[in-house]
Amino acid sequence: MNEPVIQIDNVFKSYGSLRAVHDLSLSVPQSTCFGFLGPNGAGKTTMMKMIYGKSLRDHHPESRIRVFGFDPGTQELDIKFLSGVVPQEDNLDDELNVWQNLYVYAKFYGMQKKTIQRRIDELLGFFELSAKTKSKIRELSGGMKRRLVIARALLHTPRLLILDEPTTGLDPQVRHLIWEKLRQLKKEGLTILLTTHYMEEAFQLCDQILIMDKGRKILQGPPAGLLREHIEPFVMEVQDIESAEVARTVELPKHVRRDCSHGRPLFYAASFEAMEPVTRILGHGTYYLRQSNLEDLFLKLTGRALNELQ
Amino acid sequence: MSSNNIPALHSRILSVWYRHYLVYTRNLVSNGLPPFLEPLIFLAGVGLGLGKYIVSMDGLPYIQYLASGLLVTSAMYTASFECTFGTFIRLEYEKSYDGMLAAPITANDLILGEILWAGTKGWFFSLAVLIIVSLFGVIPPGASLFAPVIGFLTGIMFAAISLTVTSFVKNINHFNFYMTGVLSPMFFFSGVVFPVKSLPAVLQPVAEFMPLTHVVRLVRALCQGSYQTILLLDMLYVLVVSLIMGIIAVRRLKRLLIV
Repeated sequence: MNEPVIQIDNVFKSYGSLRAVHDLSLSVPQSTCFGFLGPNGAGKTTMMKMIYGKSLRDHHPESRIRVFGFDPGTQELDIKFLSGVVPQEDNLDDELNVWQNLYVYAKFYGMQKKTIQRRIDELLGFFELSAKTKSKIRELSGGMKRRLVIARALLHTPRLLILDEPTTGLDPQVRHLIWEKLRQLKKEGLTILLTTHYMEEAFQLCDQILIMDKGRKILQGPPAGLLREHIEPFVMEVQDIESAEVARTVELPKHVRRDCSHGRPLFYAASFEAMEPVTRILGHGTYYLRQSNLEDLFLKLTGRALNELQ
Repeated sequence: MSSNNIPALHSRILSVWYRHYLVYTRNLVSNGLPPFLEPLIFLAGVGLGLGKYIVSMDGLPYIQYLASGLLVTSAMYTASFECTFGTFIRLEYEKSYDGMLAAPITANDLILGEILWAGTKGWFFSLAVLIIVSLFGVIPPGASLFAPVIGFLTGIMFAAISLTVTSFVKNINHFNFYMTGVLSPMFFFSGVVFPVKSLPAVLQPVAEFMPLTHVVRLVRALCQGSYQTILLLDMLYVLVVSLIMGIIAVRRLKRLLIV
């Protein structure tokens, strides 16, 4: 069996008295997509940065990070040469046009001019940006900038792609386009590591997800498996305030779990039928029945109240 | 095991330099014209005004005395702006360094690339001043042709000093203290406008401590074609200060770049 691309054991990271990552371990096999989920301040970005040496882990006797067998603490160049990184911000150079942004970045990898030209053409085509080759950065939409930053990370044909919230703030069309491109890249053998706030994104792309909160691992596994094992498959959301008041007083049948989102009750159960005693009292049009999703699981695990870092 | 194709140290530093070069030259008119215009304005101001009242200084026509100093003050200012405001903006606002450090470049490479770029700008600004003052016959041709080399060294030294300052700064407005509290006094008391020996005896050691004093003496010696042993000490000062401040800058900025 192949060695994992990323192997992390018992990693800690502190900023002063704040413990950003606490005893985290994980393993990412080749050609898979691994996602970090967690509220703001959970430690996702810090963990990502430690993987490519932008952040240094705390000294701890059992801590170990290996990426392609390299330690980011001492061999960051080897890791960065084999990886592409898409940071949270679109930190493109506004003074340069699309082509120049890619060209100057390719120079960081010591690529030859001919190879650079070919790769830029390929990537602009792949991300449907060929018509924007000579455009200035300020003329691009948010979605175009994001695609350009991903293209920039792929210039040197990396074996690992690290994406920090790749589709935050983008419209659904662009988001779906990026997902499709990432799926294609994974099929071609690329290993993908991403953080996201979009549960749908994690569900669509990731083979494995790791839910973090306050620097700690809460849960890890394949999205569908986590849903199956850790949350009831159906949920009923009460729509209006009056019905919410009624729903709060209902005596719950066995195997129905009540949760509350900012004053609005939600009921979770193994089947729609199990919730019938509640729906009967509420009446039609005052509730909404649906299947549980990753967001329900996420909120169940990390809580619905804001923490001090959000 | 190691990735054999990782660019060598000099390539990594030069790639940072190249990024700055490309960004700078995109606005060629707005970036490239002022270094030529400033000495023109200076020549007009001094030639038409002050030069009539002060004929000579330290054995040189006053306009030549002042112009030779300007060869390095232009380098000092451009390197200082580049490595204070420029670096801070790239670090805190544009987040350019985050993008660059995601590529196979270390924080050390990045900072050395910054210093090299500031040195290059120092060279270019000195060259621009030299071209203008030579065209107007203010400084005679000859060894002064090497003045941009001193401009380069001035750029390197002030880049290292300014990056160290930047590593302490939390708010961009704090650079005003450095600009008005350090660079401006240095401009007036380092032998650019009048000789250091004209200062009160108690202030002369202070002037000798200032980095600008040493590069002014070096460049003026080139322009005059008059060389003394003290110039070796000046050169040593420039190299030592560049090295020490460069090391401090690298160590301190690294803590901001790799967190």
